[in-house]
Amino acid sequence: MSAVDTAVAPAAVRSTLAADADSLRARLTRRVQHGGWFVAPFLALFALFVLLPIGRGLWLSFTDANISGTGARFVGLDNYREALASPLLWDSLGHSAYFTLLVVPCIVVLAFLLAMLAHHIERAKWLWRLCFFAPFLLPSTVAGNLWQWLFNPATGMINHVFGLDTPWLTQKSTALLAVVITTLWWTVGFSFLLFLAALQSIPRHLYEAAELDGAGAWQRMVHITLPMLRNITGLVITLQILASLQVFDQAVVMQDFGPGPEESTRTFVQYTLEEGFTSYRVGYASAISIIFFVLIAAVALGRMWLLRKREEGVR
Amino acid sequence: MSPPLPSRRGVLGSIGALAVAGSFGLAAANRSASAIASDADVRVRYWNLFSGGDGANMIAMLDAFRAANPRADVKDSTLQWGNPYYTKLAMAASGNRAPDLAVMHLGRIPGFAPGQLLDPWDVRLLAKYGVREADFDPVLWKRALIDGKLYGLPLDIHAQLCFYRKDICQKAGLLDADGDLADVTSPEEWFKALKAAKKAVKGDVHTIGIKADEPNFSWWFFLSFYTQLGGTCLSADGRDVTFETDKATQVLEFLRRHLTDGFSTAIGIADAEAFVNGSAFTWEGNWSVPVFSGAKLKYGATPLPPVFGRPATHTESHCFVLPHQSRRGGATNEGAHQLAAYVVKNATAWARGGHIPAHLPTLDDKKYLALKPQSEYVSAMDHMAVEPSAWFAGSTGLLAQRIGPVIASANVGSAKPDATARRMKDVLEQLVAMKNPMEGRSATEGGSAA
Repeated sequence: MSAVDTAVAPAAVRSTLAADADSLRARLTRRVQHGGWFVAPFLALFALFVLLPIGRGLWLSFTDANISGTGARFVGLDNYREALASPLLWDSLGHSAYFTLLVVPCIVVLAFLLAMLAHHIERAKWLWRLCFFAPFLLPSTVAGNLWQWLFNPATGMINHVFGLDTPWLTQKSTALLAVVITTLWWTVGFSFLLFLAALQSIPRHLYEAAELDGAGAWQRMVHITLPMLRNITGLVITLQILASLQVFDQAVVMQDFGPGPEESTRTFVQYTLEEGFTSYRVGYASAISIIFFVLIAAVALGRMWLLRKREEGVR
Repeated sequence: MSPPLPSRRGVLGSIGALAVAGSFGLAAANRSASAIASDADVRVRYWNLFSGGDGANMIAMLDAFRAANPRADVKDSTLQWGNPYYTKLAMAASGNRAPDLAVMHLGRIPGFAPGQLLDPWDVRLLAKYGVREADFDPVLWKRALIDGKLYGLPLDIHAQLCFYRKDICQKAGLLDADGDLADVTSPEEWFKALKAAKKAVKGDVHTIGIKADEPNFSWWFFLSFYTQLGGTCLSADGRDVTFETDKATQVLEFLRRHLTDGFSTAIGIADAEAFVNGSAFTWEGNWSVPVFSGAKLKYGATPLPPVFGRPATHTESHCFVLPHQSRRGGATNEGAHQLAAYVVKNATAWARGGHIPAHLPTLDDKKYLALKPQSEYVSAMDHMAVEPSAWFAGSTGLLAQRIGPVIASANVGSAKPDATARRMKDVLEQLVAMKNPMEGRSATEGGSAA
């Protein structure tokens, strides 16, 4: 039908085409009507709890609003100017970025190794899986407090076991590292689970065929396992980058709500919280949240763009 | 013949019906329970930030109030102190869901938008329940006044103290004829005393715990000695920075020397534990009294040593406040006044936690005088070193949050004292230039700081 030139087509064909278009339109309308009702609750909640707050935050970022919400004045780009000139903003952003740089590669490698282990172990499979995944179920306050004890230089287990004398949480050089270690233990379970699921979905016959061809364990790993896990690795990296940039709760708990020794563990989210809720500068805090939002969105989009480019390259 | 099995739908239906009926039953039971509770005439919702020994003391005082006033129903909530507490209180007040009564630090009042997030006290109503201005230290009372209205009813003063082990100091020859710590009036004398004490200390505990790496304590100790030197942070109207870097450097060098001369350590070993285990001294808040008394130590406590000549020790105060309610008044408001007045007047129980009662007549109470070492450091009230009166100051406020870590970095040796003093001045200048978010004007633009 598409090949027919409608302008010169005979009347009968034209009317059939029109009827087709009508029925298509009706079908579409019907589908939107029916589907629309299914999507509506989600859209309503999304608008109410995501779009509306983002819009309001954007508006507040151009005002000098305080916590009481009264008497806010429009101040244009003042908040953004102040934020970009503030050393605290850059310091805290640096801490979040440094944390991300440390955590992401470690999590990916660790989660992969644990998943391989859990996948190949034959006895008490469930126990291993539970052990690796269980910490992820803890609330951040529990994980933070637990490791605060473990890192206690006088009574903590870490110094005791390794025969150290390190004041982990109270010196600049180790404070953020302690948060990284805590985070690895606490969150590796999630990525571990993703890797494990992906490992289990690799067809066994690939390995059998490779074995028949005389491929050793290392070759099977490099030529089957790793390529088959490429997509899930991409996903784990993206999710971890986004989560790590937003690091906040465990750092705050481990430093008793302070910014850490020489302000070395103040993360970007913590800085936002301080401005909004300690200083009551809601307008300014909104501006830095928007800056952060744009940064994170850029990272996520950049990652997607890279992924797509690679897929195109593969094709 | 077996009875007919119930259909799946039937079973689900019955379960649903039971659940609905059950919930009605529970609701009815709840209603009757709350009806019993609301038998009281007045219900006062009260928020505080007291945990540990202070929390237990406060609960005991509330129980005593309840026993004395059966018509009042006090619903108290204890929240985590520090920033989380102030955030919740501010949000509750701005969202018009504020409790009827709350506890705050006196230094935080100027930043808590008096008139906007806080309501003023009705002084006549307080007098009706037996609390008057004349019963308080004038300095303390004045700090609670904003534009002539009373926004905080002081409950106590808590001070940074110098705790000393009498057994060790005796051996080191540091006690006077009365068995108290002999006076020191210069840094040299102080370090000489520490040197003597170090020889008398057994085991591997340090001579004195000064919490060198803790931002809040670092700021409080700094402020104490800086005030001893006559230093100030801001002008009286809060608009100008009057911080003197040379005096600050002197204080920072003094604090640092505790570590470089080997009397203290920055590796975060809990100072209270070390003191219990045999350190000669520790500088700690007076709230450590129950810990040390509980450990049955022979110890004494004085305000921080006046090494720079004039005595001054950092103090803050807990005070009662009325969080803003758009329709404050009536019996509940009066109940809040009555409860606050009751606790303030009966502060001997409160003093067991180590705090100095703000209500002066309590200080003459025999039961209070019998509390040792509580009654030994009352002089801290006569030379209070307090944070400047500004919207960003007060316990765990923005000033402490920004300036504490700077001082701690000098204490532990990762920054030089003179550079640190200059950085502290920068912090103050940045804060003064910042707009008071609750007023929309910066101090330099004419926004009043207090």
